[in-house]
Amino acid sequence: MLSLRGITKSYNKGQIKAVDNVNLEIKSGEIFGFLGPNGAGKTTTIKMIVGLLKPDEGEIVLDGVNVWDNSLMAKSMISYVPDNPEIYDRLNGIEYLNFIADMYGISKEERKEKIEYYTSLFNIKDSLGDIISSYSHGMKQKLVLTSALLNEMNLFILDEPMVGLDPKSSFNLKEIMRKMCDEGKTVFFSTHVLEVAEKLCDRIAIINNGKIIAHGRIDQLRDDAKEKQSLEKIFLELTDNE
Amino acid sequence: MNKLISLIKTDLNITFGLSSIIYGLKAKKQRWQIVVFGIAMLSLLPTYIVIVNVLFDFYDVFKEIGQESYFLLMGFLASQLIIFFFGLMYVMSKYYFSNDLNQLLPLPIKPSHILTSKFISLMVSEYFTSLPIFLPFVIIYGIKESAKILYWIYAIVAFITLPILPLVLASIIIMILMKYTNIKGKRDFVRTITAVLLLVAIVYVQLLIQKISQQAILEGEDFYYNIARDANLLARNLGLVFPPSIWGTFALTNFDELSGLTNLIMFVGIGLAGFILMSFLSEKLFFDGLIGNIEVTASKGKGKKKDLDELYIENKAYISIAKKELKMLFKTPIYLLNTVGGVVLVPIILVMSLSIGDPSMEPFNEIIYSNTDIVTLVLIGVVAFFGIMNSVGSTTFSREGKNLWIQRTLPIKAKDQIYGRVLASVVIQLTGIITLLVSMFFIIKLNFFSLALIIVIGLLSGIVLTQFGMIIDILRPMLNWSSPQVAIKQNLNVLIGMGVALLYGGGIFLLVRFMFNSIDIWIIYLLVSAILTISMVILFNVLKTLIDKQFRELE
Repeated sequence: MLSLRGITKSYNKGQIKAVDNVNLEIKSGEIFGFLGPNGAGKTTTIKMIVGLLKPDEGEIVLDGVNVWDNSLMAKSMISYVPDNPEIYDRLNGIEYLNFIADMYGISKEERKEKIEYYTSLFNIKDSLGDIISSYSHGMKQKLVLTSALLNEMNLFILDEPMVGLDPKSSFNLKEIMRKMCDEGKTVFFSTHVLEVAEKLCDRIAIINNGKIIAHGRIDQLRDDAKEKQSLEKIFLELTDNE
Repeated sequence: MNKLISLIKTDLNITFGLSSIIYGLKAKKQRWQIVVFGIAMLSLLPTYIVIVNVLFDFYDVFKEIGQESYFLLMGFLASQLIIFFFGLMYVMSKYYFSNDLNQLLPLPIKPSHILTSKFISLMVSEYFTSLPIFLPFVIIYGIKESAKILYWIYAIVAFITLPILPLVLASIIIMILMKYTNIKGKRDFVRTITAVLLLVAIVYVQLLIQKISQQAILEGEDFYYNIARDANLLARNLGLVFPPSIWGTFALTNFDELSGLTNLIMFVGIGLAGFILMSFLSEKLFFDGLIGNIEVTASKGKGKKKDLDELYIENKAYISIAKKELKMLFKTPIYLLNTVGGVVLVPIILVMSLSIGDPSMEPFNEIIYSNTDIVTLVLIGVVAFFGIMNSVGSTTFSREGKNLWIQRTLPIKAKDQIYGRVLASVVIQLTGIITLLVSMFFIIKLNFFSLALIIVIGLLSGIVLTQFGMIIDILRPMLNWSSPQVAIKQNLNVLIGMGVALLYGGGIFLLVRFMFNSIDIWIIYLLVSAILTISMVILFNVLKTLIDKQFRELE
């Protein structure tokens, strides 16, 4: 279970609150969608969970481990896919995957099995010997996804994962996310694509100007709305009023 | 014209990070960086003052034999040659490897405009390199000769135009190199090797010219007569290494005569003419070298299919980090030139200048054989110097750039970070040691104990200096760079690292010198090793704390 307890992050000496007292509880085995307009605080929140930005206040706890007090342990429980796949573009694909696997301490047999499975699934297996700078944006995204999936994580956290993926890979990724939930892992991802959130997520939260303005199951949110609306309408209404 | 001005403005802004500096100044947190910069500069000051003092004495020596123009020539030569050599590397990375090229190429801009904007940024950065070299010569000469105002005006004009010609030459050479080494496959490797060979060849030719002109002066029986009769004898002959520097010199020495003005016009004129030639050539050469450079060959699955089984290699975390560091260093030409290039080139050039410069090595050899300990100590110093000069430590985190998120989100222990990154630096240092010992082999034969001492103590000090570099780099990593060149060439951490290394190494040097005649040499070796080992352990612990802290707190 992932708990965000009162996390706050501000820039410019507290003038701009990028994330303002966010509280969320995400259960194990749940796919959680994190929605919001550009600049709402999605990426900042995600970066605080994965250890890239230190919260000014509040704490983040994953399965009883405080992410910031016990960061090494927490990191071995988290796999992160950022929105922009900036990776070592002078390495080739397999070198990058081996590097990541070494950092997670994954055995040769295990990495072989997983790399072969996921790179075949994402159709990049034949490019593993190529230098990463020759990859397209989507291929880099798939390589980062593969590297994240090498680890036996408790929390899979993705920032805008569908951007740049072809429809088939996008479908496969959704399947993977679903399967991980069945195994009791937590999936947390941010997205702009409301249909994806609508179809895939057990629960969602909408963030705007750093504050959570709505969260819950999608049918719950629909019930709360004036009339039974699509998620898009709910989203537009909520974020417009702010 | 507007396009060109806008290009120049943007390029200057990117190169010197003006917008980010202004942004940084607004955030109080980064203001202390200015303090760090100040301290770094101050740490280099004592060495600089010593050098300037030596220059004053130099002037007096040349004045005594009536060849003071040679003194000024040294200033011109030193700054122009340094600009040229650094220029070769700068030009390569700036013209061909910066990230903004992907954005500039599709725009309707002439190649010569892109080149001009980049050329001007380079010129501005070269002012910072050449000013501390050029200024003392011009000021010492001006003061000692109590020069009039016109001298100072000429000096300013000469300073402003100083970098043009060396940079033009570097640009043309690199453009030709890039065009004709645009070979698919091992392009980067071929280019780096060619660049290194080119550098060695240029240094060789210059040393040869110097030797020939030296001999020409000395050979005539009327040497003393000639030197007394012609006040510009040395300047005219030894300036042949780079003739325009002679014009610059004569412009200043004859500032109160017409010949001063004509020499100045020639000095400025050749620079401008070169620049025009370069712009003209760039229309024909620039894109040819560049376009293949951006395209990367991908097999698209059709390439050789190795047995993937061989590819799954399991390593300990620190070995994997070291391997990754080395792969990135070897596959990025600009890193390769600055790290391996430096430690390989320096010994070769050193040995070359020793063997060409002096026609007879006999007296030199005698000194060496009678003072094995001094030679061993000096070589240990040279090897230690590789440890900081390779810049692997002082840019290790900066080189990660935007990729640092990868290691920050992975469960990597700080000690693995240190082992891995130090190991990479040691490997680069080893390539320097091998080149040094192999090239020294042609001059002197060292015994086994000396070799062992050089390698062991040299590497030990290299580790300590790498750790110093890493401490500096983790405290202020430069992560927002647009071209790998920025991470290593415009990274102040390299300079701060050298300052710290100079202070630390200087301390050990003084200690050794103090003990040298009174204590047994083996005790000195032991003591130095002990100091290095203790430093290594202390720095390791400092580094561990700092990496943990910075990996959490960087934003």
